[in-house]
Amino acid sequence: MVRIKYRYLLCEVCVSERSGLQMLAERPIYDALRAALGKAHGAHGAALLSVGSSVTYVNAYTGVVLLRFRKAHYRLLWSALPFVTSIWSRGQKVPCFFNCVHIGGTIRTCQKFLVRYSRQQLCRMLPHCKTEAEKQEVRRAVLSCSLNKFREEEEDNDFGEDGEETEA
Amino acid sequence: MSVFMDLNILAITDKKKLQSTIETAAHLGYSTVAINYVVEPQQKKQQIPKPESVTELFEKFPIVQGKSRPIKVLNRLTVVATDASHFRPSNEYKSFDILAVYPKTEKLFHAACMTYDVDIICIAVTEKQPFHCKRSPVNGAIERGVSFEISYTAAIRDSTMKKYTIANAINLTEVCKGKNVILTSGAEVPIELRGPYDIANLGLVFGLSEGDAKAAVSTNCRAVVLHGETRATALGIIHTMKRMQPTGQEQEEESPAAKKAKVVKV
Repeated sequence: MVRIKYRYLLCEVCVSERSGLQMLAERPIYDALRAALGKAHGAHGAALLSVGSSVTYVNAYTGVVLLRFRKAHYRLLWSALPFVTSIWSRGQKVPCFFNCVHIGGTIRTCQKFLVRYSRQQLCRMLPHCKTEAEKQEVRRAVLSCSLNKFREEEEDNDFGEDGEETEA
Repeated sequence: MSVFMDLNILAITDKKKLQSTIETAAHLGYSTVAINYVVEPQQKKQQIPKPESVTELFEKFPIVQGKSRPIKVLNRLTVVATDASHFRPSNEYKSFDILAVYPKTEKLFHAACMTYDVDIICIAVTEKQPFHCKRSPVNGAIERGVSFEISYTAAIRDSTMKKYTIANAINLTEVCKGKNVILTSGAEVPIELRGPYDIANLGLVFGLSEGDAKAAVSTNCRAVVLHGETRATALGIIHTMKRMQPTGQEQEEESPAAKKAKVVKV
């Protein structure tokens, strides 16, 4: 049995105003991507997007988006990503751009990276804190973010199946 | 180790906007940015602008994503040349860290590649390049260490410009075989910037190979910055810098006489 291999692009949606992030959803992002691909690579690009590509995960609070493409042609699809300038959502235009931070073979590796990355972001926020209470809050958040809790639960659940999905 | 650089952020008078653009660049992971002043001598009475002191821009420079160092900001001058008289080396050029020229005719392109003392040669992105890049001047430029710049903001703004950008870029990369190409933004507002990995991948559309595309946002840019430094320091042989007088004297007194003599010789 050979599975179809995918590439997961962990992207960060950068907006000029934070309120725009609340408008994010799977469908508008997919539509924006399809429009950009249609413009950049024409019918060929649109066709490649329609097989096996999807928006797997959207976090409307942090603006993190996980895109799934087939491994065979993810580079072509990725090259259209810089041309996304806005997302139409609920009748409103949200100007934004995608910044790809990680490419993984599985959702799991992306999740691991995301924890590390988010932790870095918290550390970057620390010098910007104004009050002592805010600082304490960020420090506590930095210490608490890890996948350990998840991992323990996972190991309890599927003992012996460890490492089946990991891919080099 | 690769450090990403974006050597083209348009200088705008609105300081707040410029600050937010540089902050976004730091967030995306660019370690060095250059503020680009464009001068077009064919318009009458256009003076070469004085670069604003970089230290005045920020009280505290934003920290680069994934690094612990603050972002480095340079000044860059782009001369748009339509006539041979437009580019003449003068003292005003010396206050900029990087010097670029945007030749509009084939003759000037040849001259820029072979003789002009510049770091970057810009390639047209908003119009079809009126001439074909010939192999001999391009090879000459590569030998001298001058780089070619492709800026991607125009491609993002408009789909016709995208066509021109890709056409001109492929025209260039076929001749220079992916060597000495840099990819820069040319952004005015933060929303026009893109992440370094996205741009490295975009290089594939411009006809660069995977390795060349990555070099176009990292090592080639570093070469440009160093080339800019050599211009100011007599080919990098002599480098003068001010040093604090009191501490310098103390050091000299402490060092033995033989060592001191050596220092003087160098």
